[in-house]
Amino acid sequence: MIRSLDRVKRSRIVAGLGAALTVTLLATACTGGSLAPSTAAAKPTELRMLYTTDEANSAAVASLVPQFKEKFGIDLKIDNQPYDALQQKVFSEFASSSSYYDIVVVDTPWAPALVQNLEPLSQYIQNDALNPGSPQSNVGDFIPKVFYDTAVYNADSPIKRYPDPTAKPDVSAIKNAGFDVYGMPIQSNVAVMAYRSDLFNDPTQKANFKAKYGKDLAVPKTWDDYAQVAGFFTQPDKKLYGTTVMAGVGDWATDDFKTLLASYGGDGTLADESGKPAFNTPEGTQALDYYAKLAQSGHVPPGSTSADWGTTAESFGSGLTAMTINYHDLKLADNVKGGTIGYAPVPIGKAAGPHFGTWMLSVNKNSKNKEWAYQAISWLTAAEQQTTMTAKSLHPSRASVFAGIKSDNPLAPFYDTLGKSLAVGVGRARLTNYTEVSHEVAVAVNNAATGASSPSDALKSASDKVSALLKSAGY
Amino acid sequence: MKATAAPSDATLTVDASCRAAGRTSADPRGRKPLTWKKRSTPWIYMAPAMIVLLLMTVAPAIFIFYSAFRNDKILGGVGKFVGLDNFIEAVTNASVQHAFLITFGFVAVAVILEMILGFALALPLAAQTRVNKVGAALMLLPFAVTPAVAAMVFKQLLNPNYGWVGYYLGVFGFPKGIDLLGDPTSAWIVLVILDMWQWTPFIALILMAGLQSLPGEPREAAMVDGATPWQMFRHITFPAMVPFIAIAAVLRTIQAFKTFDSFKILTGGGPGESTEIINLGIFRVGLQSFNVGLACALGVVFLIILSLLIPFMLRIIGRRADPEEM
Repeated sequence: MIRSLDRVKRSRIVAGLGAALTVTLLATACTGGSLAPSTAAAKPTELRMLYTTDEANSAAVASLVPQFKEKFGIDLKIDNQPYDALQQKVFSEFASSSSYYDIVVVDTPWAPALVQNLEPLSQYIQNDALNPGSPQSNVGDFIPKVFYDTAVYNADSPIKRYPDPTAKPDVSAIKNAGFDVYGMPIQSNVAVMAYRSDLFNDPTQKANFKAKYGKDLAVPKTWDDYAQVAGFFTQPDKKLYGTTVMAGVGDWATDDFKTLLASYGGDGTLADESGKPAFNTPEGTQALDYYAKLAQSGHVPPGSTSADWGTTAESFGSGLTAMTINYHDLKLADNVKGGTIGYAPVPIGKAAGPHFGTWMLSVNKNSKNKEWAYQAISWLTAAEQQTTMTAKSLHPSRASVFAGIKSDNPLAPFYDTLGKSLAVGVGRARLTNYTEVSHEVAVAVNNAATGASSPSDALKSASDKVSALLKSAGY
Repeated sequence: MKATAAPSDATLTVDASCRAAGRTSADPRGRKPLTWKKRSTPWIYMAPAMIVLLLMTVAPAIFIFYSAFRNDKILGGVGKFVGLDNFIEAVTNASVQHAFLITFGFVAVAVILEMILGFALALPLAAQTRVNKVGAALMLLPFAVTPAVAAMVFKQLLNPNYGWVGYYLGVFGFPKGIDLLGDPTSAWIVLVILDMWQWTPFIALILMAGLQSLPGEPREAAMVDGATPWQMFRHITFPAMVPFIAIAAVLRTIQAFKTFDSFKILTGGGPGESTEIINLGIFRVGLQSFNVGLACALGVVFLIILSLLIPFMLRIIGRRADPEEM
């Protein structure tokens, strides 16, 4: 009898605890997993940020740490990790619901899988007390395409895109459309063309070009001109090639193809919003055909079919090529006497669609210092700080920063091109398994570039594999 | 008779008390039976290592088996039991089959070549002279280089535009700017050469130790009988070395199946998917796409294949170690 009474008591306690837990969970669910931001949140002595290395210009961000301490009285401790290690660290931190890092840098291919672990920021942005001197963190200043592609998600359906990616960013409109803001864009990478301006301006080269093609030598604006100019500059005996391709198996090959695909009028994101591959199309075949011909033309340096973005930057930097397409500003080695670099948007076909992808700073949903973490990322990505960081080659994400770059800035031509290219850039498909999809596309691009497959066969094979991958991922 | 029967009863009594105390028999040499405390002492000494082994190896292995039957997501969402779905996907996917096949091909070719070269190096270096000691120390240098660093250095050497390899191949009449990593056949040759450069010293070291431990008398007797060097190698040295060869082959095979860094850095699985060994696939599926269930299933399939292969290898090589089989 006593035992049965104990059992009854125990079951009541368990039921009570269950009810309390349910109420707590429901309460948490009602606020989207987060309590409303409080302006009176306790000030931490330190904020921890997980950041990358060169990929998102860690030196630029690190240069602001002393100013951050001066402004907020908080130590900003940055943990830098190279790309692969960073990706694993970010995912494992969120998988273990760790609160160790308050701020996490997120690359666009990871965002669809991570978005539910990132703090939605609209309520912070709309809280005036958290944005002193910069109402709503001045989000309207972000380049629209960059902001929507990088930071605006519907967490319940991450594959969806904000319907008007050219509209001036406005948090109320974003909320009304069923989306939220999950970070602040900090480093905007986009494919831009770099060229040896000393060669393009060389009177002898100009005369030779005119004599050969009957027109003036100019920085190419179309893909046909690009191939022609590449052919003109190629002189293997002088260790000079026209341009580069990043056709080694890796995300870089997919990026090259994306740029061409969008440019030829195809869907440069690679997959549509219903989760179907969108690259095995006539435009895709045309784009890959052009790429394969360029790779096999002899107008790119040997080794291009195993090259990545680092290799092509080295090739251009060492004076081996007259042009290249890459994501960063480039430098010529000391041995390239008299060499100068110019920048221009990548050539276009039917449309402009350079591949782009931006890193964003996000607040860890499990952080105990969310309000301060928000203020930190808002400050770090503000126009003033971004302008300061351009001295360290940061790729800004705000229109006003690009507009304010002075002509005496040695990188002014690069920033001018970067800003123009970001405005028309095309991002990646928002897939939780984008890495696998990208791998299959890269294999197809590589096979076409080496001549192992025809462009149409390579795309068909990749499309079949991607369809299976998307299906298994639940799309 | 009674006098002899009494001790027998006494023994039985002791045995019974031993059993009651958890022991099986009395110490035949008349020592005091070990107490529980004394018997547990070795276990206490072993406990730290066993705990580490349990936490770091056994528990994750069990979790991998568990996860292989589920579709858990690393971030949020509740996974469920999916039976053999992950295994079916793992073994029916054409790319996975290809990856397994080339992994076995790579291991077979690399290990066989390393065994031959390692033996060839060990034979002259086994004599303990000063020169050989220096030679053996130098030979160990590649073995001491981190595989990732070795691959990065190789990649620079192979650069078709400024690498040494391309330059010297050009001197020997090969086309200028040859891209060895851009062609499946040459990429494989490079990968095997890198593996051989790095791991042949490991084989040579084991075989050298084996050669130095062999007794000299049988060779001396054979020499007196007029045996040729080949006959001595064929009938004396090689049979005596078979156990060492077996150890080296098994250890190296296990290591070779774990190869990852050189493929990731040098080719990334390319050209196309020609060098996409299974470890690259597992890395991408598990640690870049975080499809934990499928990655675990791939790992389990790999483990099962290896678990069958290694005893098979040992049985084949072990049988050869039996003089009756020679």
